[in-house]
Amino acid sequence: MATYVARNGIGENQRRVEDVRFLTGHGKYIDDVNIENQAYAMVLRSPEAHADIKSIDVSEAAALDGVLLIVTGDDWKSTGYDPIPTKSAVRTFIDGSDMKVPPHHALAIDRVRYVGQPVALVVAETQDICRDAMELIEVDYESLPSVTHQSEAIKEGAPQIWDIAPGNVCLDFELGDEEVQKKAFADADHVITLNMVNNRVTATPMEPRGAVADFDPETGKFTLWNSSQNIHANRDTIADVVLKIGKENLHHIAPDVGGGFGGKNGVYPEPILILHAAKELKRAVKWINDRSESFLSDTHGRDQVSKVQIALDNDGTFRGLRTESVGNLGAFCGTVGSFTPTGGSSRTQGGPFKFDGIYYTAIAPFTNTCPLDPYRGAGRPEGSYHIDRIIDYAAAQLGMDPIELRRKNLIPPEALPMKSPMGLDIDCGNFPEVFEETIRISDREGYAKRVEASEAKGMKRGFGVCMYLECTGGGPKEEAKVTFLDNGKVELSVGTASTGMGHETVHAQLLAGHLGLAMEDIVFRQSDTDATEIGGGHGGSRGLEVGGSAVTQTSRQIIEVGKKIAAHRFDVDADKVEFEDGRFHVPGTNHTMTIRDAIDSQNDPDNLPDDLEPGCMNISSVFERGIISIPNGGHACEVEVDPETGTIKVDGYWVVDDFGTIVNEMLASGQVMGGIAQGLGQALMEDIYYDESGQLVTGSLMDYALPRADDMPRMVIAYYEDAPTEKNLLGVKGAGEAGCVGAPPAIVNAVCDALKEYGVHHIDMPLTPEKVWKAIRDAKATG
Amino acid sequence: MPAITVRVNGLEVTKEVGARTLLSTFIREQLKLTGTHVGCDTSQCGACVVTLDGKTVKSCAVFAWEADGADIGTIEGLADGDKMHPMQEAFREHHGLQCGFCTPGMVMTAVSLVENNPDIDEDGIRHGLEGNICRCTGYQNIIDAVKTGAKAMRG
Repeated sequence: MATYVARNGIGENQRRVEDVRFLTGHGKYIDDVNIENQAYAMVLRSPEAHADIKSIDVSEAAALDGVLLIVTGDDWKSTGYDPIPTKSAVRTFIDGSDMKVPPHHALAIDRVRYVGQPVALVVAETQDICRDAMELIEVDYESLPSVTHQSEAIKEGAPQIWDIAPGNVCLDFELGDEEVQKKAFADADHVITLNMVNNRVTATPMEPRGAVADFDPETGKFTLWNSSQNIHANRDTIADVVLKIGKENLHHIAPDVGGGFGGKNGVYPEPILILHAAKELKRAVKWINDRSESFLSDTHGRDQVSKVQIALDNDGTFRGLRTESVGNLGAFCGTVGSFTPTGGSSRTQGGPFKFDGIYYTAIAPFTNTCPLDPYRGAGRPEGSYHIDRIIDYAAAQLGMDPIELRRKNLIPPEALPMKSPMGLDIDCGNFPEVFEETIRISDREGYAKRVEASEAKGMKRGFGVCMYLECTGGGPKEEAKVTFLDNGKVELSVGTASTGMGHETVHAQLLAGHLGLAMEDIVFRQSDTDATEIGGGHGGSRGLEVGGSAVTQTSRQIIEVGKKIAAHRFDVDADKVEFEDGRFHVPGTNHTMTIRDAIDSQNDPDNLPDDLEPGCMNISSVFERGIISIPNGGHACEVEVDPETGTIKVDGYWVVDDFGTIVNEMLASGQVMGGIAQGLGQALMEDIYYDESGQLVTGSLMDYALPRADDMPRMVIAYYEDAPTEKNLLGVKGAGEAGCVGAPPAIVNAVCDALKEYGVHHIDMPLTPEKVWKAIRDAKATG
Repeated sequence: MPAITVRVNGLEVTKEVGARTLLSTFIREQLKLTGTHVGCDTSQCGACVVTLDGKTVKSCAVFAWEADGADIGTIEGLADGDKMHPMQEAFREHHGLQCGFCTPGMVMTAVSLVENNPDIDEDGIRHGLEGNICRCTGYQNIIDAVKTGAKAMRG
């Protein structure tokens, strides 16, 4: 497959179409969707981590003026609705037996298993009445022993969360050849081991989740506006599997979505509950989560404890890598949550480095916590953290230079294409060049002076790098549909879902570039089951890779049809017609026809050859990706640590990414910088922390720290563009998640470098001032 | 229910408000100005920032009745007809927004920061925006936008 180079569109920093709407306050987010005479819903959530529901008394609440409907688990049981299914790509234990999938009903039935689990739905005339009614519902809980940490959950004697999952284990997993890994370990001079924590965090899009459901009793059809990133797949699940109303009866739409990062990918209980309520009440029902509820009920991400071992020789040559992870799934499977610690974290083990053998194994237990589901990267940040932390740790243990260790072991470009030990098809790239460029741009010459300046202030300065390898994901198919409207506008509908990434601009930029149309003539539609037949939504950095390729493919098909129309007019063979800069022409003649002219001709049969029908330029096509792409890159980071207080200032940040072709650098860099901020948040401050009784301690923005403007360094982002992939039509590799894949290890490596003179070589994330201060104190105490 | 009279983006309105109606709810639901967003319930995120008698406030932390008689500015009142405010232009030019949810509060805060300190430097901007959380951008483009917006506002 040849990569396609457009004359226009690719490489332009097109300013965003959606910005004017957002900047003037005219974006339409879920809380801006209102239906006449709508009722309001709120969810009563469990205050208990693990308890039997002995009884629920709703009589007082139901009697409150303005209360319209209360639904409890017992009511839900009688509806006959099915549980929310899980779609993990890994579904069997190592021994071949089926994974354990407990029933995830939209409301807790008989027992609650995490704080925040929906226990009852209250619908009333106003939100205030909902709140008052929830206060009046009496739930009698009988507490059960609970367990929130995965390492505790798999111990003998731990509280058992599901009868069907003995030992709390949902799934186990392995990838790689253990015999080859063991032999590599046996042959190597050293084996270095580090236990590390990938802390539980949550996506925290600034717009909380919400939905509005409507039901038309005349037609039996439902409409659901939902702040979701995955409209088509979730429609199918909600309509066909859970409610069994038939997907043709559910029109699913996402309005403007205020951030997602994976946290709005899954099927959640609340939209299902309000669809039910809308049908019962024959009235639209609106539900908006508040932020504190979001911390309790938005799916969480990461949360792995891992034992990582690297085998290497005296000269620094890597021989083998072994990672044993335990990933905390929470109380249910999530939509694809159990894939993250298993398959998701396995594929990029070892990064862009040569190894004789790699073996990855994981156990995924249930705990009494909110379910796990994808958060930006979903497995690749974990894989990157494993390899890039163990390299620095091994370097510290063996007195080696972590930069030299990487340099020595990077896979050389001449080894590509190759299949990695974990089965990834690494087709192209130049890891040594990307790495050297990362070092080159990170101002190493000025470093010694900056160290001196820091020392003069009593501060410790450190430098850290990471060389990440990641892979795209998400649905392999995408649709792009182009309809030329009578008013001269061009409707472009794509099944991807932008929640801030700028698809409205970049997909239009591609279409305009391919066809030679004006950006302002393009009307963009997405996230609407009426706009496209299929839609893979958001996830796995697939927007351009699959969605952009679909736009490109549809554009090419439109051009081919246009050529036939032009050939018909010029009375020549279609293969004589060429297309360039928005014009069809026959070389060596004066025959030219603009694309606009062709579009205007397409509805009149007289203008068309026999094999074309009116409307023939209105084309929808589905692009299907064969093999996932391999973005890669280098991160470098400088930090200053105050040893007296443990506070960390990230003082410089440099990145070189290989995303293949860069279509819109401004948007790509926006993705990278936003990802770095989320990675910095995970590394330094963010932590979803449950206490021993299963209460969420970090349940508000007062307690869960997000990076603010003054926490962030100035970032320098550069691109290696000499290795476009041939796996898709644009040569792109996916930019959305890379920032938060590379940032955590680069930052932690820099902090450990700053603290090496104290003998501090590892601290588990998040590196809060308290932990850093304690690590220094403890290291000093043990000398 | 008591009535309050406020000037919003230059227009005077009188509305009845409930005792526990927040200013953010009043602006969004009674005035239908939905550009002011609510992103949290602890006055941390800043998506709901408006001006109240010329000072920025988090409108989720003020009761509507407290604003009686006040002059309120929201994001909808910033542009001059179809011509965006220089700060709005600068945010677009620098890609200082992605999902757009924090943006109205961010822009309102930025305009106020610059009005109070026309020569504000990068450190000043970073500290000045501490009460506004953006989860998408990593802030760098916002900082650059505020610098450019400040320059344009200085004229």
